[in-house]
Amino acid sequence: MSTPGTHVLAHAEQAPGGTVVRSARGIARRSLRSIVRLPSAFFPALLMPIFQAIAFSGTFFAITKIPGFPTDRSINWFLPLAASMGAGFSGIGIGFATIRDLESGFFDRLRMAPAPRTSLLLGPLFAAWIRGLLVLASVLIVGFAFGARLEGGPMGLVTLTAGGLGIATMGTGWGLGLAYRFRDMRAAALMQLTLFNALFLTNAQAPLSVMSGWLHAVARVNPFTNVLRLARQGFLGDVTWQDSWGGLLAIVVLSVLALLFALSGLRRLADD
Amino acid sequence: MSAATVTLVPSAPGRGVWWAQTWAMSKRSILAIARQPALVMPSLIFPLFFAALGTSSFGKATVLPGFPRVNSFLDFSLAGSVVQGVLFGSVTGGTALATDIELGFFDRLLATPTSRVSILLGRLAGAAAFGAFQALFFTLVLIPFGVTIEAGLVGVLVITLSGALTGMGIGGFTAAMALKTGSSEAVQGSFPLLFIALFFSSAFFPRQTMQGVYRHVANVNPMSYLVEGVRGLTIDGLTLGHVAGALLVPAAIGVVSIGLSLRALSGRLAAR
Repeated sequence: MSTPGTHVLAHAEQAPGGTVVRSARGIARRSLRSIVRLPSAFFPALLMPIFQAIAFSGTFFAITKIPGFPTDRSINWFLPLAASMGAGFSGIGIGFATIRDLESGFFDRLRMAPAPRTSLLLGPLFAAWIRGLLVLASVLIVGFAFGARLEGGPMGLVTLTAGGLGIATMGTGWGLGLAYRFRDMRAAALMQLTLFNALFLTNAQAPLSVMSGWLHAVARVNPFTNVLRLARQGFLGDVTWQDSWGGLLAIVVLSVLALLFALSGLRRLADD
Repeated sequence: MSAATVTLVPSAPGRGVWWAQTWAMSKRSILAIARQPALVMPSLIFPLFFAALGTSSFGKATVLPGFPRVNSFLDFSLAGSVVQGVLFGSVTGGTALATDIELGFFDRLLATPTSRVSILLGRLAGAAAFGAFQALFFTLVLIPFGVTIEAGLVGVLVITLSGALTGMGIGGFTAAMALKTGSSEAVQGSFPLLFIALFFSSAFFPRQTMQGVYRHVANVNPMSYLVEGVRGLTIDGLTLGHVAGALLVPAAIGVVSIGLSLRALSGRLAAR
């Protein structure tokens, strides 16, 4: 019996060449369709970063007056954080969807489909990128309406997108890896908590120069600090290589590790 | 017949039975919290995490104009932590009531000669007890980290009582939602609303440092006055104004929310 998802994979297998990408595209398309079919699962992930950008900027407006703060617009400081976090949670959302597929048995049918295993990772990753871009665009539109300014010109959008999609990639790898290992909703809380902590134990709320105490020590060595620096720089001033390379390196290393974690989880799932 | 329904069988007529029933229902809801610590752990850990983050990130903000005189940012953040924790914990009570409805236990209670109001009050008493525990927990945990309660032991008692009243007040709203919808998912969906109410108040930063529309919203948000009452006891000392803010605001919220939940209860009973 064929369902929409397995039909896409079967069709992809028949096509000569490019099977991995075609299958991945099919899985991604199914995941994106679920935005329309199950909006309650996606819209909180879209609305929360918008709310975060607005609420943090308003509540913590005064911190821009602390000597040494790099901008006088709080929205410029908090918008990239909210957008990057939202993109990251798009990746985690893919992990949630995978848990649902595992619990309902649909994932077993995907595994039985004559499609390469790597497409089971690439498909969700493509979907996470598209969901992440939707979140980034939405937060940016609202942020600009609330007075955000790209001080570093259009390059600032490029670095924000790189940072956001980088965190989405890590979130997807981490979410899928946990989903394949736990195979139930216990993994959901772990996915959220770890990403949340990883992002907040950084310069998320205040620059390193303004911080004090234990958080300063943790944020200084947390690679996500570099990713946020990359994503934020265009809203604080010119885009420079100095503020970019650390974030790019962190994205590459952490994404590879997260995707390897997912791949090993998928293999373990196949062995059981 | 389950253990819970056995305790509801009246042993004596009149007001004594009503109290016995309410006590049995209260005990059940308190035990439910104690037996499932994983459900309430986030409402105990997250406020402490945010307090620790805020102290490191915003420590230098305490010298800004409009910021109250405090020994440290931690003194300032205790009130926000208490209200934040109690708010989040209150969702658990409403969700438990909705789960009772979903699983049919609520109908089984209605089939017994139990006072209908006892079912609701028992749940709210559970929320109040947990609110008091949370307020005391946050205060006692943060004191070793340098928090000073200027109002002394009486202040701690008032803060604990404020936690109980806030738990009951907000628990009334989530109970009303549970009775109205009968869906635990809908009650969980109220979480962002509480989050918004909290963020657009002076829970995390003083109103005096906010600007524009944020300040206007914080000025009319009752949460601001509740938090400022508790905060005043922490950083100023024991005054009638602070005690009134800490106790009367949540009491007023409770009057409205319990009224709404009683109305939702009678609506549900009428619909049967």
